[in-house]
Amino acid sequence: MKPIKKVILLGSGGLSIGQAGEFDYSGCQAIRSLEEEGVQVVIVNPNIATVQTTLKEGRKIYLYPVEPEWVEKVILAEKPDGLIAGFGGQTALNCAIRLDESGVLARHGLQNLGTAIEVLRLTEDRDLFAQAMKSQDIPVPPSQAAASVSSALRAADRIGYPVIVRAAYALGGLGSGFAQNSSELKYLVEGALASSPQVLVEKSLWGWKEVEYEVMRDSFGNIITICNMENFDPLGVHTGDSIVVAPSQTLTDEEYQLLRTASLKIVESLKVVGECNVQFALNPQSLEFYVIEVNARLSRSSALASKATGYPIALVAAKVVLGKSLLEIKNPLTGNTTAFFEPALDYIAIKIPKWDLKKFRGVSREIGTTMKSIGEVMAIGRSFAEALQKGIRMVTENESGWIGSTSSLRSSVVSSPLRLVPKDWVEELKVPTDARLFKLIEALRQGFHPNDIYQVTQIDRWFLNELAEIVATEREIRELGLKWQKRKPILEESLASVSRDSWRCWKSKGFSDEAIARLCSGDAWVSKANWIMASLVVRKLRQQAGVNPVIKKIDTSAGEFPSSSNYLYLTYSGEISDEVARKSGPPSALLLGGGSYRIGSSVEFDWCAVSCLEKLRELGWSTSVVNHNPETVSTDFDLSDQLFFEELSLERILDIVEFEKPAGVIVSMSGQLPNILAPQLASRGIPLLGHAWQSIDQAEDRKKFSALLDCLKIDQPQWIEATSVQSIKDFIAHVGFPILVRPSYVLSGAAMSVAIDESALMAYLSRAREVSTDYPVILSQYFEGAQEVELDAVAQRGQVLVSAISEHIENAGVHSGDATLIFPAQNLSETIKEKIAEIGKKLAHSLELNGPFNSQFLIKDGRVLVIECNVRASRSFPFVSKVLGLDLIGLATEAMVSSEEIPPFKELVNSKLVGVKSAMFSFQRLAGADPVLGVEMASTGEVACLGSTVDEALLLSFQSSGLKPPQKGVLISGGRIEEKKKLIESVKILNELGVPVFATPGSANFFRQSGLRLSEVSWDSIAEKMTELIQNNELDFVINIPKDYSESELSFGYRVRTLAVRRGCTLMTNVEKTERFLKALASKRRGEIRESVSSLDLACQGFC
Amino acid sequence: MQKLKLLDSKSDAPQKASLVLSNGMTFQGESIGAPISAEGELVFNTGMVGYTQSLTDPSYYGQILAFTFPLMGNYGVPEPGPGAYGFEGRKISPSAVIVAHHSSQAFHWRSHQTLSQWLKVDGIPGVAGLDTRLLTQIIRSFPEVRAKLVIGTDAGSAAFHSSASPGPVLLPRVSTAERRVLGKGRKRIGLVDCGVKWNIIRQLLAQECEVELIPWDTDLSQVDCSAWLLSNGPGDPKNTGGLISQVRGLIDQGLPIFGICLGYQILALAAGAKTEKLRFGHRGHNHSVHLVGTQRGFMTSQNHGYAVVEDTLPDQWVPWFRHLNDGTLEGIRHRSLPFRGVQFHPEAAAGPQDTRWLMEEFVQELL
Repeated sequence: MKPIKKVILLGSGGLSIGQAGEFDYSGCQAIRSLEEEGVQVVIVNPNIATVQTTLKEGRKIYLYPVEPEWVEKVILAEKPDGLIAGFGGQTALNCAIRLDESGVLARHGLQNLGTAIEVLRLTEDRDLFAQAMKSQDIPVPPSQAAASVSSALRAADRIGYPVIVRAAYALGGLGSGFAQNSSELKYLVEGALASSPQVLVEKSLWGWKEVEYEVMRDSFGNIITICNMENFDPLGVHTGDSIVVAPSQTLTDEEYQLLRTASLKIVESLKVVGECNVQFALNPQSLEFYVIEVNARLSRSSALASKATGYPIALVAAKVVLGKSLLEIKNPLTGNTTAFFEPALDYIAIKIPKWDLKKFRGVSREIGTTMKSIGEVMAIGRSFAEALQKGIRMVTENESGWIGSTSSLRSSVVSSPLRLVPKDWVEELKVPTDARLFKLIEALRQGFHPNDIYQVTQIDRWFLNELAEIVATEREIRELGLKWQKRKPILEESLASVSRDSWRCWKSKGFSDEAIARLCSGDAWVSKANWIMASLVVRKLRQQAGVNPVIKKIDTSAGEFPSSSNYLYLTYSGEISDEVARKSGPPSALLLGGGSYRIGSSVEFDWCAVSCLEKLRELGWSTSVVNHNPETVSTDFDLSDQLFFEELSLERILDIVEFEKPAGVIVSMSGQLPNILAPQLASRGIPLLGHAWQSIDQAEDRKKFSALLDCLKIDQPQWIEATSVQSIKDFIAHVGFPILVRPSYVLSGAAMSVAIDESALMAYLSRAREVSTDYPVILSQYFEGAQEVELDAVAQRGQVLVSAISEHIENAGVHSGDATLIFPAQNLSETIKEKIAEIGKKLAHSLELNGPFNSQFLIKDGRVLVIECNVRASRSFPFVSKVLGLDLIGLATEAMVSSEEIPPFKELVNSKLVGVKSAMFSFQRLAGADPVLGVEMASTGEVACLGSTVDEALLLSFQSSGLKPPQKGVLISGGRIEEKKKLIESVKILNELGVPVFATPGSANFFRQSGLRLSEVSWDSIAEKMTELIQNNELDFVINIPKDYSESELSFGYRVRTLAVRRGCTLMTNVEKTERFLKALASKRRGEIRESVSSLDLACQGFC
Repeated sequence: MQKLKLLDSKSDAPQKASLVLSNGMTFQGESIGAPISAEGELVFNTGMVGYTQSLTDPSYYGQILAFTFPLMGNYGVPEPGPGAYGFEGRKISPSAVIVAHHSSQAFHWRSHQTLSQWLKVDGIPGVAGLDTRLLTQIIRSFPEVRAKLVIGTDAGSAAFHSSASPGPVLLPRVSTAERRVLGKGRKRIGLVDCGVKWNIIRQLLAQECEVELIPWDTDLSQVDCSAWLLSNGPGDPKNTGGLISQVRGLIDQGLPIFGICLGYQILALAAGAKTEKLRFGHRGHNHSVHLVGTQRGFMTSQNHGYAVVEDTLPDQWVPWFRHLNDGTLEGIRHRSLPFRGVQFHPEAAAGPQDTRWLMEEFVQELL
């Protein structure tokens, strides 16, 4: 093996369900670890919002698709010594296998570092894997691989129903599912084979325990298991969609060691080098077990295990991949102990998935073997109850938590004896959904017997019993409250009688101050603001009783060795806080993170947080972070001086502030969740760094903001805050339909909708009430055919330092998070650009902004209208910063904390190159979800690429986001006449490219009149026809443009869209995007697109 | 259907108990198990599973054992019986048990009773609700800290037994009372019982050995066997009566000897090496050892406060394993003769089974 001086590391591309921010976390740790060993790292990853694609001294970044054709070009340009594919998820692994199969690795003499490609192939090929396990006497479930529907049906007949289908080479269980009979199996296999060459038909182990081990092996054969984890949900729910507990809680030493020893044997037999995840099914009534999956790479589970234990798995794995022995690597958390050890935990960590399914129209809420969650939270406590209740509050973003998990808060106290589970509840509990945890809690509140719930769900009775104990304590508090209410209804006086023991019991069972206030006072208060006041009363009396949380370290050794770790959590199960080493002298900033990834809040805010932390360090500040998202880089152990893996709630932040006493809190880097805490924190006397809370409030409160715009004579769409039906009618009479409806404090267009007529509006209003009762509904004028533009800017004390303008390809009506962004804007006149910049200056000045902000505009007939202003970092900051080669967040951080005045950039900044950012969608795994673009954000991630022309950058960006150019055939349907007109050019291009075109009658007629060649497809048999065309390899691209967003129109094309997605066709639902895509393909065909690659440092040599 | 008391908790308020430490600290929690007082050296174990094995490990005899991991009793306690799964000795060894939380119910298919019920049956007191991480840190800072468990909140002021005195020889309390032969096999192993963990016996029997269980004070020259196994056990290896000189006799005799934990320390003392009390004992399932002269390491289960001093090893003895963190000796062997010993627990139970091969190798060599 020649010495490794330079490696190419493959990233995981845009975030999608099953492959999220965890690979940025793992990748970043690996890159730093490799650089520590003196190895230069070349990164291929088109995910511009990641931390790993930030340009750093010595690093080479290539924002290109993680596809063999592009990776080979990077190999030619960089001539690396080795390839590392273990840190970029399934995307990188599949790419490495293809690079090997196509001979690229051999051709360039490139070594694959880490686990051998043959082994990766073996773990991905279900049949080979089963054989390999059998040869080691490791039991695998009876199964058979199949590459066609008919062979899958034969296999199932042999194994016997029910069976589970698993797709090969797929991430997040895509295409997997249970089949009870042959028709279910047929449906599943058809879907799975659309994206995978092979499926495995396997004996169903529904209801067994699911247990995972994270294993690391070095090239000398030394093996450790870093962590084991147990799923709360028994087998049948994908581990990514399961509530997961680390370490396992219901396994005896015998079972723990049985599976541990088996995982060691598996990893040794495969000669894995680096990290490996092993998943088992364990019979809940015996020692029988099967290995069900092996992932010989870093994974979501390994990221979770890393955060749950404190063991920096990716950092150690990277050194192991270079050939180092585990025995010689030090554990960076302790500094002086070996990395060859297994962490001992003295707490429990619980992961709860974040689904966000409400954001998808038509999606099934059931969860199963195909992963649907988009993010996760991890809660740490010294009891199950404490950690679980924390986790529930984290995943519900403090909106309701445990206490608000049901509507029965006001129902009378249930003190009925144990009840049998009635029939209507059985299905609710049996079929796992995104709300099952809350159903379980409610069932226990209703007095159903945990044993019966166990019979229905197979969830281990230990877990159910723990839930029942929380419910019992909840009832105790509620009963006490009822007693008080009869006597003296003043909360403060009543609470004064609570004993220290009771406080300790309630708090160590995880009840928040707000929950206690609400349980005690029943119906006494209703609004959120009052709950906050009441929770502060609880806090005061609890503190008077001497009950406070203590701070404990996560140190990997359960306190056995002294540790300099500053990875912390808070618990009520403890006497004394650990000693936390602190830098004395420098001012300290407490940065609030953004919580779990979800639609609209993703890795881009982690990038902002990391950039901010790095700048603060550079400026000599000491830093602390509060967050609970295990998939983030900003919560890595060495990125801040103190890491609190904790809730982002007022109660917890007050606890931390009382302990930390920071010079200021930063709320503007991590999206909306911390931002809306600003007024609450400020009113408790906690200093904020950056924008004043009044500025945030004025921008967030639509009324205040609108008044400000009027005062500044800035144009805005007309709107009202609807308080009565009459006011709605008056407003509509004035502005007409269509109209945009939404609640205030909007994030990612939550519950935002375009109503085209009165019936649509009424339908929306009935739904809106369940979304938010605390904030009113907003109606605003909706502009069709308007262009949408964004301004990202940084201000210091009211003066804009720098601003950058990008434009959307899609016209207004597509959420900015789903739209394709071009930066710098290409199609705006100088006058418009100046107008926009001027508005930015006015806003910054009047709001006295001091930090990052983003504003969105509509351009219509020369008018520039402001839609909103986010007084915080936005989704597009990393994109704009990287295209410019100028770290806007670093600048914003300096503006926020520096007493010196920073000289502003004179002009609008611009770039020689153009960047195109496009959204990643995960509709393929969201059965039933309508994959149409609209005002509700639906994308799960994004990618961006640079080019010397828009077309070059756009094609790279679209390829990176998974959009494939049409090759076999295109089906066009729908759209209004204006849109059909716009598509003429596109159809012409398709004719020139020689791609067959099919169209539904209206479209066919229209395009034929323009002399274009196509075949007509009738609407009646469209699904059958599509299936036939797909099967015959005659269709791979579907253009379906809804005429409008009415229910009836959407349901019209729904079947076409969902079928296209399920069968792996590229789907376009926006006319401008389609147009640009096909035009770019035409210019590629004419040879006008550059085919070589350049790294980000070359691309960004100076902005002008 | 099982009768459950889940939903009407708090029917009887738990009794309070206090833990008084010899360094002056006092903690209050709830009494679990037998409501009686106890005293002993305070030790911890950081293992996350295997509380039944730890509690029946005779090496903990007389000590007060604090489980660092906060959730105990989750899977209950299996049915006791001679050699039963989950048990490493006949009864609970420590004089008292400290936990943060204990499960009031157990549902595992092996479970026979809850942890608290078992403590009551065996007459052992316990305290729940304590900060076991803090206790672990205290033990780390005051290695010989002793503790008293007192029922109620009145901690009292009775003096502690002096920790400086060597204390009584513990072996009579944990060793078998009479010689017994277990199993039938090709070779007979003489197992000198200093408080042997049952898994050592299980592993020997699984390899078709005949095991003769021998009381610690038997005249070993009168025993007929093909090899010796010196077992684990409690206390200071120097405080083991005449056993060291007896083992010196075994070395002269020349039959293969394998020492485990206390047995290994006694073997080292008999060979002429010295032992010392460690500043930080090793107590957990995650201790890594290096096989000297190779690139290999192994994860082991450990529970010891004493170690053999490497500098004092006689000429013919060589280091076999060393601890990867503090470099202390974890195993020695004779250069040419079949004598060896390890400080850790190759029989695991509880803990990782990665060094099971040592016992297999030992038996293989006899055949």
